[in-house]
Amino acid sequence: MTSRIHVLGGAQTDFERNWTKEGKNVIALLKEVVSDGLADAGLCYEDVEALNRDNRVACFVGNFIAERYIDQGHLGGLLTEVDEAFYGVPSARYEAACASSSAAIDAAAAKIQNGDYDVTVVVGWELMKTVDSKTCGDFLGRAAYYETEAKGIEFPFPKLFGRLADEYLSRYDTDEALLMDSLAMISAKNYANAKRNPFAQTRKWFMSREQASQRGTETNPYVGGRLAVSDCSQITDGAAVVILASDVYVKQHGLSCPVIKGYGHRVAPMVFQKTIDESSDSRFVLPWTRQTVLDAYRRSGLSLDDIDFFETHDCFTSSEYAAISAFGITEPGEEYRAIQDGVTAFDGPKPINPSGGLIGCGHPVGASGARMFLDLYRQVSGTAGAYQLPKSDTGMMLNIGGSATTNYVFVVSRG
Amino acid sequence: MVSRDIESSRRAARAAAQSVKADSIVKNLVPADYSMLADCVCESDLVFESVAEDLEIKLDVTRRIGDSLRDDAIACSGTSGLPITTLAEALPERLRSNYFGVHMYNPPYNMTLCEVTPTLYTNRVMFDVTRTYLTDVLGRTVVEVKDSPGFLGNRIGFYFINKALQYADQYKFSGGIDYIDAILGPFTGRTMAPLTTSDFVGLDVHRAIVDNIHTNTSDYARETFVFPEFAKQLVEVGRLGRKSNGGLYKMEVRDGGSKHLTVYDITMGTYRNKLDYGFPFAEEMVADLRVGDYSHAVETLVGNRSSEAQMCLTFLLEYVIYALSTSGEVGYDIHSADDVMATGFNWCPPLAVVEAIQLVADFKALARERLSESILDAVDLDRLLADGARSKYDYRTYLRSAK
Repeated sequence: MTSRIHVLGGAQTDFERNWTKEGKNVIALLKEVVSDGLADAGLCYEDVEALNRDNRVACFVGNFIAERYIDQGHLGGLLTEVDEAFYGVPSARYEAACASSSAAIDAAAAKIQNGDYDVTVVVGWELMKTVDSKTCGDFLGRAAYYETEAKGIEFPFPKLFGRLADEYLSRYDTDEALLMDSLAMISAKNYANAKRNPFAQTRKWFMSREQASQRGTETNPYVGGRLAVSDCSQITDGAAVVILASDVYVKQHGLSCPVIKGYGHRVAPMVFQKTIDESSDSRFVLPWTRQTVLDAYRRSGLSLDDIDFFETHDCFTSSEYAAISAFGITEPGEEYRAIQDGVTAFDGPKPINPSGGLIGCGHPVGASGARMFLDLYRQVSGTAGAYQLPKSDTGMMLNIGGSATTNYVFVVSRG
Repeated sequence: MVSRDIESSRRAARAAAQSVKADSIVKNLVPADYSMLADCVCESDLVFESVAEDLEIKLDVTRRIGDSLRDDAIACSGTSGLPITTLAEALPERLRSNYFGVHMYNPPYNMTLCEVTPTLYTNRVMFDVTRTYLTDVLGRTVVEVKDSPGFLGNRIGFYFINKALQYADQYKFSGGIDYIDAILGPFTGRTMAPLTTSDFVGLDVHRAIVDNIHTNTSDYARETFVFPEFAKQLVEVGRLGRKSNGGLYKMEVRDGGSKHLTVYDITMGTYRNKLDYGFPFAEEMVADLRVGDYSHAVETLVGNRSSEAQMCLTFLLEYVIYALSTSGEVGYDIHSADDVMATGFNWCPPLAVVEAIQLVADFKALARERLSESILDAVDLDRLLADGARSKYDYRTYLRSAK
């Protein structure tokens, strides 16, 4: 008998924190986020022990590349250092670059749906501030085909997503000034949204549409083609936990929680040029991203009209730009209309990234999928505090890994 | 932006833009000098004075602002502790309602605290409009405080820092300055140890703040604001701290260019190498905090009976008590002290310290056990901690795993 997938709760760390500067290691990070996540879901370590006696709980860890950042592997097993309650609890690590914790959510949700477990704990995390920004960029290059796309290239990812902006210009005949202004508006919006979010890395930083438009200046230098620093997400330390539960558990405890309505998961070519070449006849530059969204609409039985808000993967302004048509908010090539008309603004009809997104909130790569999912949960359950949207019955998230290679979409709704 | 000459104003505008990483703000900072003050003031909706922290200089500049300020415009002072009412009285009577204190902390992109101080004359509507602007547009953590020396942040912060300085003197045969800093390091809930902070701020500024508070306040902790004799001598010979390369600490560059941090030895009157004291309680707390074991770290602090651990705990307990009692006197609610210490000093704020201690012990019982009669007689512990208010801040982010 299959179960619905309920979202019990979760937690994230304050993405402003630099754990290296605090002198704390990954165990401190995990203890904090797991304890907070369990508490938010109304659970404690004794509950985990009790569930585990009957093999009803499991853990799913999302992380991209801890082997590089902190010399640590075997991340499923590492949870036993958080608390002895995890002795004997099934736990493994999932990796799909920046979509790692979405892969973990996918596995955790499948086990609930299948009736294998009653509670699944998803932990996404990354500690990135252990190295300087150039080394960090090089590590992240392993999310592309490293040997051909990243090795020996300074900041490979901004360059890849700069090419996405180039492709928009050549394919849709969009006015360059209009496109670049729209990208600046995305940046300014996400920084502004982050100011309401007490967990956001940039909540004390200054940004404006004007500053984001002044590319190529001393304080906003170009980093990848047409993209400048203001177009980029951040290097972040952080972790996020979400806790899923079965019908049995929810019924036993008399709970009413948000549920996962549907998902999509598609993998596009690893090499960005092949994605561009493959899509040359398509209406979409990123057709597999669009397909992932369509799959989620189909599985959830919902359409754009039903979605009140979106959390998307704005690793760069160009990726949020492309997401607008992928969600179906505009036709491809007309994304600027939604931005210029305020459709995706915090108080617009289809707000994107009310949390601040990866640009405003921060982007600890292995945590971002879980963080976006947590924000869907917070909005849908009405617990988003100062960044709560007035209408938030159903939300959709898009989390991508690499240069839009891995695509994950989840839809969360009131139960 | 008005300063002594246009070139300085231009440089200041540039530095401001760099500090917030935004070239786009430079055009908002129109450089000017004092010969242009009258024109600048009469064109402005809000005039913010931030000249040297000297009452006579501030009174003079405030008078000049009063000569050209429009009736509907706001004027405020960025003073860190001089009397706002006295400054307001430098304005013509009809403009005194438009004046109040707006004390920002540095660096503003890191420290969001802004203490605002109305006077008897202040027009509440203008004050509230400014307050909303500071909160919503400038992203400040705005805390309304009374016109009291050092306001709230410096009053509490320098209570702790100056007490550390007095203890350095008292314990000069145990090591003095670095001995005390090793007891009150980042593992006790701050980015840097208190005397290192004083060295950053400068002993001259430190002295001005505590002298002002000592002269003009009269609570139970007044003597804690007496600036020690050895420190006066350092100020007199220009050893102010980091800004004069040598104060409480000094960075020495030795042969081959290697840098060594040295510390002023109060008994010898010379600088010596900074010592690694390796107190067992501190080592254990740092190891606990590294893996996020906050309970055990606090248990160590409370349970370890070495004189250093006891001194550390007493400092923290007294900090909480002084902060909460001063918050009632200078602020308007129990959270004011938390806001100022968290967002102005980046120290674990008092209510968050209480929560950390409550992990392993009853705070009130511990305070009664460890604090002196004179403090327990001066404050009403039950009333101070009556409503069991929870901190808005998380002690885990402040207790660092570093010595």
